[in-house]
Amino acid sequence: MSKILVIEDDSFLQSLEASKLTKEKFEVITASTGDDGMKKINEEGVALILLDLMLPNFDGFDILKKVREQETTKAIPVIVFSNLSEESAMQKAEQLGATKFMVKSNFTLEELVTEIKAILK
Amino acid sequence: MDDILKIKAENEELKNINLVRSDLISISAHQLRTSLSASKWILKMFLDKDLGDITSEQENLLNKAYESTERMIMLTNEMITLNHTEDKILSFNFQDVDLVELLEQTIFEFYGESHKKEIELIFLKPSSILNKVSVDKEMIRVVFQNLVENSIKYSNIHGKVVISISQNEDEIDLSVRDTGITISNDDQKHIFEKFYRTENAKQKDAIGSGLGLYTTKKIVENHKGKIWFESDEKGTTFFITLPLNN
Repeated sequence: MSKILVIEDDSFLQSLEASKLTKEKFEVITASTGDDGMKKINEEGVALILLDLMLPNFDGFDILKKVREQETTKAIPVIVFSNLSEESAMQKAEQLGATKFMVKSNFTLEELVTEIKAILK
Repeated sequence: MDDILKIKAENEELKNINLVRSDLISISAHQLRTSLSASKWILKMFLDKDLGDITSEQENLLNKAYESTERMIMLTNEMITLNHTEDKILSFNFQDVDLVELLEQTIFEFYGESHKKEIELIFLKPSSILNKVSVDKEMIRVVFQNLVENSIKYSNIHGKVVISISQNEDEIDLSVRDTGITISNDDQKHIFEKFYRTENAKQKDAIGSGLGLYTTKKIVENHKGKIWFESDEKGTTFFITLPLNN
């Protein structure tokens, strides 16, 4: 069972994402702030990170940068899952090494699961 | 001298007002999308019966709510694109772009959609290599996306969409021809207006904001290009020219 870390500050969206992934037999852990997310990335040995961008304290870009810099975490797939869609945000995420950029409102949770499964294959 | 300083100050003030407007739309759109994502996901959970069985009457109503949410999402997306276009007009990022490659990438994105509607999507590639053109790549991508998307959206099942690009002396010519609905004479003069949708378009596809062609025209004209169309009972063709030196 792959362990997925959902970093999302909107508690309602976080609960919907987590419940869908749990139903799909993933082990899910969650974080609502950037600091907590970074802590869990370093301690939990996750298989994939679902990352929101606008987060309190330490934003999604900071997390992505840090993940790619650290030897122990640099190979973890990161799906940026945000409602930002500005070209600048997409380019920045790509440059920092995001595996995939998905605009939340343009996808269903099934489509998200399909993407996660394809990446973890 | 005082006059020049005054104009400069006023110009700065206008730029700042524009920035505030743009930020306001951007932040609102982000918040809207968050709420709309939640609604969309919940409705989908009901429709997929993740939360238990539903009656056909409930399913019918939930489907309507889902479509309505999708419409709001699309409107928000187009609002963001338009806002971004209006920002970018003040600061286009011009670079030399291979338009054939960009067009091919765009068409590729729509193969799934055209396949679903059993519409044949044909790209007539130019026989010779075209010059690269100095354009804002992301903005011209929006133009290509809007035209190809419309041609598929307003075509009938088993229809055909033919896209071609060529180079003339000092310009690049692009056309997107479909076998879809006709744009009536009355509608023709309004088609590029903000929020305008023809009756035929509304009947064909209820989801549409009326911002796509407005945005497209704005971008093309800001590249010193031209856009126009021809429409009859066989379908509609949109034409674009972009100057090689703009």
